[in-house]
Amino acid sequence: MRFTGLGYLIKEGFRNVWNNRIMSIASVCVLISCLVLTGSAVLISMNVTNLVDKISDSNETTVYLKEDVSKVEAVYIGRDIKNLKNVTEAKYFPKEEALEDFKSTLGEEVFDNMKNDNPLPDAYKVTMKDLSKYDKTVRQIKKIEGVEKITSQKELARKLSSINDLVRILSVAIVLALGVISLFIISNTIRATMHSRRFEISIMKSVGATDSFVRIPFIVEGMVIGFIASVFSTAALFFLYDIIMEIVVNLIHIATIPFSQVFWVVAGAFVLAGVLIGALSGFISIRKYLKKEGNEILGW
Amino acid sequence: MDNIIEFKNVSKRFGTETHALNDVSLAIEKGEFVFIVGASGAGKSTFLKLIMHEETPTQGTITVNGIEVSRLKRKKVPYLRRNMGIVFQDFRLIDKMTVYDNVAFAMRAIGASPSAVRKRVPYILELVGLSHKAQNRPSELSGGEQQRVSLARALVNNPAIIIADEPTGNIDPEMSYEIIELLSEINAQGTTILVVTHEHDLVRKFNKRVIEIEKGRVVSDTKEVDDILFEIPDESEEDTADTYPEEADSAEELSADEETAEDPQDETQEESAQPDESEDKEAE
Repeated sequence: MRFTGLGYLIKEGFRNVWNNRIMSIASVCVLISCLVLTGSAVLISMNVTNLVDKISDSNETTVYLKEDVSKVEAVYIGRDIKNLKNVTEAKYFPKEEALEDFKSTLGEEVFDNMKNDNPLPDAYKVTMKDLSKYDKTVRQIKKIEGVEKITSQKELARKLSSINDLVRILSVAIVLALGVISLFIISNTIRATMHSRRFEISIMKSVGATDSFVRIPFIVEGMVIGFIASVFSTAALFFLYDIIMEIVVNLIHIATIPFSQVFWVVAGAFVLAGVLIGALSGFISIRKYLKKEGNEILGW
Repeated sequence: MDNIIEFKNVSKRFGTETHALNDVSLAIEKGEFVFIVGASGAGKSTFLKLIMHEETPTQGTITVNGIEVSRLKRKKVPYLRRNMGIVFQDFRLIDKMTVYDNVAFAMRAIGASPSAVRKRVPYILELVGLSHKAQNRPSELSGGEQQRVSLARALVNNPAIIIADEPTGNIDPEMSYEIIELLSEINAQGTTILVVTHEHDLVRKFNKRVIEIEKGRVVSDTKEVDDILFEIPDESEEDTADTYPEEADSAEELSADEETAEDPQDETQEESAQPDESEDKEAE
């Protein structure tokens, strides 16, 4: 009953966007850049997190053996490692296998001539029971004769995590800053519409339109701008992401999250954010006008 | 509840010094037709703004159609305004819209259904005699026609009161007469009409109650008498409220009987009233 005129008001909102199209397009563009930047930051963070998780999950420490260690000696070393309390498994990883591994990740040709002169050392892949005792166990392994050095993915994971923290802080900052900018730009656009429609607003108020009735078209205007921007942002990020990830994968072979996997999350988040920012802008801009009465609205 | 508008000791001050209205008490009954006259700056606009809750009184109480305006919450103000239709001096029509849409706008703004709009708007346009201009833009119409559109818009939500703020200020005298005539017809249907004007000639042509405001005070309040002559019975403002409770038509009949008896007294009153008016005119 109260909202019998709702259809009309929504139509008015769409009309606002159209009548004020230059400003609307400007707002949409600003919002697109904000959403794409924010989205990129989030996706980067997601990818790094994904990588860190994978590395941490593998929980493997590689123990490289000295080059002069024979295959027989290697078996003994392996037994010594396995005898340590904190070690659950020590898998032999000969240099031939290591070469194969490299070949599959980095491309073939380079490694073909290395077959006869393999520079890689033999190694053991060690899995530990309790990672909190990691340092102690590493010291114990180092004492074993014939062990060259120990590398752990944990170091890499730690470094990546700190990068990820930075990315996260940055993306929060970006989200906040760009959110405020978008809000400002869109509310300015809506204010321009409102200014051109102040006459109508004053008449609406004089015939007894409720605040929500006066407000709805402007909130709809903001939501429409937000929605249009979110659709374009999703499309833009879709293309950008594929291009960037292709470059990244070519540089360092890491597992990336395919866009199709996050498409709906991204699209949903964009639409939600865009529409919310738009509605909020409409709400903020009309507030000033609602408090005014009669000729004040017209600025007389 | 016979009084549709009631002011009790209402004062409105802007700042500390200026009294826009000073201790005004008056009552307007349902179905009355009232002219509010006075020089510009006398307090007429403030009087209207207080009724519409565009301003709130510094002191006193105002009741409109049973609603206590002075203590109304902001959220309830729209519902107060649905009791009144406003006609502006400058018409306030939206030129982007057709005449039809201008009138329909007032209905849509308070959530009327599309079917109600389709039924009501043509009827109201017919009433003001502008059916044939429904699809024109306001700027294509004459001043008098524009004011009739404005009146149609004020009427469309079927308000209890029509408030016309200098409705004839921007149109030629002939058209002015027509507008007031139209308002009289609407008044005959039972709608209370308030017309703010400073055109004394126009007021004189119509025989209606006249409230004169000067320097924020009601200086004279003369009720309707049955004659084209400007006759002012000796009444103080407090008394007027309950003198003629009937509607316009019956009030005219009633006063017709009294006319002869009161005539001499009225004549003298008229003379004393005249100088005031000419002063007003000079001031304007």
